[in-house]
Amino acid sequence: MVGTIIRKEISANLLSYKFFIVILLTTLLLATSFFVLYKDFKGRQADYELVRPKPGEAIAVLAPNPLSIFAKGLDEAMTRSFEVSPIGLQVRAGQKSGNAVFAFFPAPDFVYIVKVVLSLVALLFGFDQISRERETGVLRLMLSNSVSRAKVLAGKWLGNYLSLAVPFLLVALIGFLLMTLDPQVRFGAAGTGCFLLLLADALLYIALFLSLGILVSALTRRAAASLVVLLLVWAVAVFVLPNLGTLVARQLVDVPSVKALSEKRQQTWTREILLAIVEGRAQGRQAGDVNRKTHLEAINTEFDKLEHDYRLKFDRLVRLSKTINRLSPAASFVYAATELAGTGIGEESRLKDEIIRYKNAVFQEFDQGRKDHAAFAYRYRSAGQVLAQGGMFDLGWLAAFTVVLFGLGFAAFARYDVR
Amino acid sequence: MVGALIKKEIQANVLSFRFVAVAALLLIVVPVTVLVLSTDAAKRVDEFSSRRSEIETYLKSYAHFNRLQNVVKPAQPPLASYALVRGISSDVNFEEFDDDPLPVMFPLLDLTFVVAILLSLAALIFSYDAVCGEKEDGTLKLMLANGLPRAKIILAKIIGGTVTLIVPFLLSLVLGLIVILLNPRITWKGADWTSLAFLLIGAGLYVLFFQVLGVFISVRHHSSSASIMTSLCVWVLFVLVVPNLSPYFAALVSPSPSRIKVSREMNRLTDVERDDLGRRLADEKMRELTRTYPALAENLSQAEAKVRAEKDPAYKIALQARVREVGAAWDEANRIQIAKANALQDNLERQEEAQTKLSGTLSMVSPLADFTYLSSDLTSTGLMNERHFKRLSDIWGRSYGDYRQAKIVSLQKKDPAVDWWNTPVDVSDMSRFVYKEEDLAARLKGTLPAFAVLAGLALAAFWAAYFSFRGYDAR
Repeated sequence: MVGTIIRKEISANLLSYKFFIVILLTTLLLATSFFVLYKDFKGRQADYELVRPKPGEAIAVLAPNPLSIFAKGLDEAMTRSFEVSPIGLQVRAGQKSGNAVFAFFPAPDFVYIVKVVLSLVALLFGFDQISRERETGVLRLMLSNSVSRAKVLAGKWLGNYLSLAVPFLLVALIGFLLMTLDPQVRFGAAGTGCFLLLLADALLYIALFLSLGILVSALTRRAAASLVVLLLVWAVAVFVLPNLGTLVARQLVDVPSVKALSEKRQQTWTREILLAIVEGRAQGRQAGDVNRKTHLEAINTEFDKLEHDYRLKFDRLVRLSKTINRLSPAASFVYAATELAGTGIGEESRLKDEIIRYKNAVFQEFDQGRKDHAAFAYRYRSAGQVLAQGGMFDLGWLAAFTVVLFGLGFAAFARYDVR
Repeated sequence: MVGALIKKEIQANVLSFRFVAVAALLLIVVPVTVLVLSTDAAKRVDEFSSRRSEIETYLKSYAHFNRLQNVVKPAQPPLASYALVRGISSDVNFEEFDDDPLPVMFPLLDLTFVVAILLSLAALIFSYDAVCGEKEDGTLKLMLANGLPRAKIILAKIIGGTVTLIVPFLLSLVLGLIVILLNPRITWKGADWTSLAFLLIGAGLYVLFFQVLGVFISVRHHSSSASIMTSLCVWVLFVLVVPNLSPYFAALVSPSPSRIKVSREMNRLTDVERDDLGRRLADEKMRELTRTYPALAENLSQAEAKVRAEKDPAYKIALQARVREVGAAWDEANRIQIAKANALQDNLERQEEAQTKLSGTLSMVSPLADFTYLSSDLTSTGLMNERHFKRLSDIWGRSYGDYRQAKIVSLQKKDPAVDWWNTPVDVSDMSRFVYKEEDLAARLKGTLPAFAVLAGLALAAFWAAYFSFRGYDAR
């Protein structure tokens, strides 16, 4: 029975204008997004070849992450160049800081398309499942046959989910496979695994919005009302909550601004350099050859302290904003997807820890008078580690959301007056 | 007649469920957003003033010309408009190790965002069934049977829809402005209110465009369920995709050189290579000098030289000549290398500028981008302000250069052999960088293209809607 309903839903969808235009839109968007971000990745890869450190240089630069084609996240921040010299760490940013228009709009990557467009599309598949069929009278006919409401709902859900998920999966997988043809884009086994998990994350997210659509459809008498409610809920969940959440978290945790921090660093420098010179003069040396060592050490200790202090506060901000933002499934989806791709906030702060460790190691080599430095090596977390460190929570959260929404939808449908 | 039609539209809308839902949402989201933003703005004001006083404390004890310009770098103070609009003023700062990547993941919510996303969506929700819905209900036939001209019907639909959307928005904004007025830490001047007024005109045009677009799409369809699908797809393209793709396309078409590479190259030019060149030039000068002043041949330390110069006037003259000539040599090295580095930098800036311009132009196809630009430029939180800030910094930088020159001369007057580079100086008489917002008139002038594009889009959509409606089959 369920099979028949699924078939009916799919064939009804295939013939509809909605299906046609919506699938056209998503296919077009996904294809454009893959193309544009693939080109962007290639460009950054070419840049990386220009700036990659020569053997012996104490420079930490990561090659751009191929999964950033799908989830750009913080890859731009992670592929900056961090150069260690006796006077500390020098940071140089990549392309994005040159063109300010990038700063206005988020990157149109796969994660963005799923977060914004696919969720809307899932709602469009779900919004009229119950209320429209009541309006047209189909629901009455269906239920007058001896079929349980549970089966009808399950059939509807699966039928619509399949007609949405299958084309989506096809496009995503074809895009991925085409990219693996390029020998310079190496995903590797781990990368492929992460991509598949990312797809699973996306499928879960779509399921959530489809269930939400069906729930609201079962709560309203008219499809038009159902759509209005859904569009507003969608706008709040996808745009308002996560973007406001971070701002609210900022009011609760005091984190110094980046500018304040950089000013503090400059001040420390200035003070120590002057102290070094004044001390040197007292010992009768020329300004050029004063003993800077103790002062450079003082600068470094102070910088490390500033950095450590900032990290602590910033991590607290990140944790709090994550907690608040997870109210919105869109945020949960983005967190899981970017961490799986290795471009999330967790990965970025892990990279920074590694860079600090590398800097300290190079400083020891400076002390020993070594000119050749070990190269910086960084290993992204494996999918297992990501899942263990919060990824599983986000996925579970999305799944729980979906189950609850579907359950509520079933409860609402069970009591639905089909007349 | 149009008046009666508009009244009918407004009444029908106000009684509808969608009006209640949209109004309720706006009345919650706008005041909450403004509340959070204004708290944050007050916090920024505090932080900025504490940053300033810290700089002053440092200047009192540790100012010296070697590092002074790094401590007194011009900084953008928080603006009054931060309570409503943030633009690109967020603190991402990829140039520093301690960056703040959160806005990259989730951009800040502000008034621009509310208008750009929520209001445009609401406008389409209000208008997607304007014509086809009435056809489905059969009221369109009745209306036309009364001999109403089609132009008037469509005009009334657009005006009525826009008014019913703008009014709850303005109400919610009034609540938000009350929050701002009640916050003692935020004071708005006349220009701030005027710029808000122009911003609202922009918002009105933006909403109008989507209203007209919705009506147009509704005229192109005969069922409202198909019309909403098309509307949403067009909305997604215009609002969520075109602006985001534009910088990536621009980067493809007009690439710019690697920033990291250029920056490293510049560093090398003005550091290692400068030192080599400076040393070489200074050595040449020294060889010439030792011919004139053989006394300089013996290499005394600074302290010993000072002692000897006090006893031996000839040696003092020689010493002064050395300071002068070696200084000139290093100045020459600096000049040559800085010119080389500047050429590189200029080239980079030119290419980046070209790319930015192209992305801006491409994105202006999207009304969301137009509105974002005009609202950020009007409130001094956009690209225009970045250029303005750079201009101000350059002016201040030149005045700082003059000040430094005068100060060095006066230091040298006291002690000709002074190492002015590394000597503490009293900078209490130095002029500090003062940020002044660009004139409102200039800001307005800069936003004219965005206004024009928005108005043009609305007009084009209106003509399209009108002509389609003339041929619409109402049966």
